[in-house]
Amino acid sequence: MASVTLQDITKEYEDVTAVDSMDLQIRDGEFITFVGPSGCGKSTTMETIAGLTLPTRGSIEIGDRSVTNLPPKDRGISMVFQNIALFPHMDVYENVSFGLRLRKYDQEEIDRRVEQAADVVQLEGMMDRMPKEMSGGQRQRVAIARAIVREPDVFLMDEPLANLDAELRVHMRTQLQRLHRELDTTIIYVTHDQAQAMTMSDRIAVINDGVLQQVAPPLECYNEPTNRFVAGFIGSPAMNFLEGEVSDDGFESQYANIDFDPATHGVTSRQEVTVGIRPEDIFLEQDSRKATSPTKAFDAVADVLEPMGKEMNAYLLFDRDVEASAEGRGEGQLLMNLAPDTSIAEGDDVRIVMDRENVHLFDRESGNAITHTLE
Amino acid sequence: MSQEDRSDLAAMETTEEPDLDRGIVEAWAAKMISNPDRAYRATFYLATIFFLVTTLFPFYWLFMVALTPRGDLSSVGVLTPGGFNPGAFIEIFTRLPFHRYIFNSFLIAVVATVIVLFVASLAGYVFGRLRFRAKNVLLLGVLVTSFFPPAAFFVPLNRLFNRNVDILRPLIQDGSLYNTPYAIFIPLSALYLPLSIFILMTFYSQIPDGLEDAARVEGTTRLGALFRIIVPLSAPGVATAGVLTFITVYNEYFFSSLMTDGRPQSWAPMLEGILRFQGEFEVLFNLMAAASIVAVLPAAILVIVAQEKIVSGLTAGAVKE
Repeated sequence: MASVTLQDITKEYEDVTAVDSMDLQIRDGEFITFVGPSGCGKSTTMETIAGLTLPTRGSIEIGDRSVTNLPPKDRGISMVFQNIALFPHMDVYENVSFGLRLRKYDQEEIDRRVEQAADVVQLEGMMDRMPKEMSGGQRQRVAIARAIVREPDVFLMDEPLANLDAELRVHMRTQLQRLHRELDTTIIYVTHDQAQAMTMSDRIAVINDGVLQQVAPPLECYNEPTNRFVAGFIGSPAMNFLEGEVSDDGFESQYANIDFDPATHGVTSRQEVTVGIRPEDIFLEQDSRKATSPTKAFDAVADVLEPMGKEMNAYLLFDRDVEASAEGRGEGQLLMNLAPDTSIAEGDDVRIVMDRENVHLFDRESGNAITHTLE
Repeated sequence: MSQEDRSDLAAMETTEEPDLDRGIVEAWAAKMISNPDRAYRATFYLATIFFLVTTLFPFYWLFMVALTPRGDLSSVGVLTPGGFNPGAFIEIFTRLPFHRYIFNSFLIAVVATVIVLFVASLAGYVFGRLRFRAKNVLLLGVLVTSFFPPAAFFVPLNRLFNRNVDILRPLIQDGSLYNTPYAIFIPLSALYLPLSIFILMTFYSQIPDGLEDAARVEGTTRLGALFRIIVPLSAPGVATAGVLTFITVYNEYFFSSLMTDGRPQSWAPMLEGILRFQGEFEVLFNLMAAASIVAVLPAAILVIVAQEKIVSGLTAGAVKE
């Protein structure tokens, strides 16, 4: 168990900056997830913690030791890789005991620890299987056993579930959470899947373009994103955005106006802003009592309906002239959640309201959040 | 049965066997076209037989010559010996210490192979797995070196190895490398290094980065990861490079003969030994033939053993670290 401190970590390749002066404090025993789109620098950050890459600048401490220039083997870490990376020429026992044998533990201790680790990940009786004789989930459990058997200070997990099928992924997700509870060790987890990040972590570190955007517990990232990137990245389906500007008595855009007092919400008139509203904070007018503080109603057209079972996603257009964008949600398009039994058909005219309590306001230029409520 | 029925039957017979009136070759070609697998199999056997005959027949004939008593050499037939004298296989060891020549070649080849595999592994790792400036230039340098004919290096090396170097005096008689195994395997290792570097580089570059990273996180250094993970997983490549180097060095004549005075105690190689049966007044062809066959054995055994290793390494994952 140990805390991890990153200070001004920068990694530059010839022409790109993969990680840009990152400062991060990871607490002892914490499950923290690095999340971001692919190529955002989250894996590079993890590699610098592991010592597989040396940072161009900055320092790393694990526990109270500075490990910036130590080789991976002396950092007290273990790692689970995205491609699982079991040694294909060794059986399960040899794979799991590899690190212990290198460190010259005596045979009894090795056997005891391997057995214990196999017990944790439920691998009993598979000790003499070769990796290629096992299924994806079994291999991943071997990789986890190999990581926990050395009782490291910090676990690094680089997209360990990415190569598993969906059902197994959900299963392993709960397994990992249980593992974290049992071992009580610091876990640093890298994923591009915000659902994994939300469900497992104590805190999420959202990274984009090598820059740390926000470090906070999952719900805080969800409810109070620090900027437009975090708002759009965390949450599925993603937040709706409306470009517009501040008028004297609220928000004005091509399609919708929201009344509020600019002065009390930290904006000035004529400021260019983006409104963010999550699909579950939009309601039909007849349901407006469900909203804590409904705005006045807007006209819209139901474009595409997606019944999901427990809810229904409705893609709306603000008016019939809006061209539905082929990629993502374009300007004038809006996604809302409806109860699955709502009587509505594609092409219907609807009147909707937003819940003022959960309307986010971002500065258009910097993308930074201005307020998370317009009450 | 009516007349009509019978003629119908006759018609059916002729349509069933349409190639009755074709020639043998035409019929054969038709069969091949309708069943190409047969054609491929036939050509495969043909090529294999051709290859086996051209490589194995000289051996067979060498054996016939070896069995023929010295006086009857002119009566060696195409398939039969001109007499029966298996004693030639003993005589090669009594007339000359031929076993010493074989030992010399064998030892030199083993040492050269070990050196080549070790150095080429390091170089192969660097060229195959690391990114650094001037990599291609260096690689080109290695390639260019391997293009030089060995003879180009001979004169300077010969002068170098004939010089008495004072610091070598305690290690080597009179401080000169001439007539020592070093004079043979040092230049030979260097000459055959590029080929092994290229083979190993290709194999090592195929090993996923994740495996090396995993090994390093688990507690090896980069070198440890190379020899514990990358090399065992590249067993077929290592075996190939090793066998190629061994055979080339074992069979090498140019350097080995010029860097020694030809006596067995001066580390003269096996080929030198075979040529020693060529006297001033007489060429002992039967002994040369017997010696050639004996000399092939170590290399043949090695190849067979190495092949088994390759196969087992691939199938059972039997390579343990």
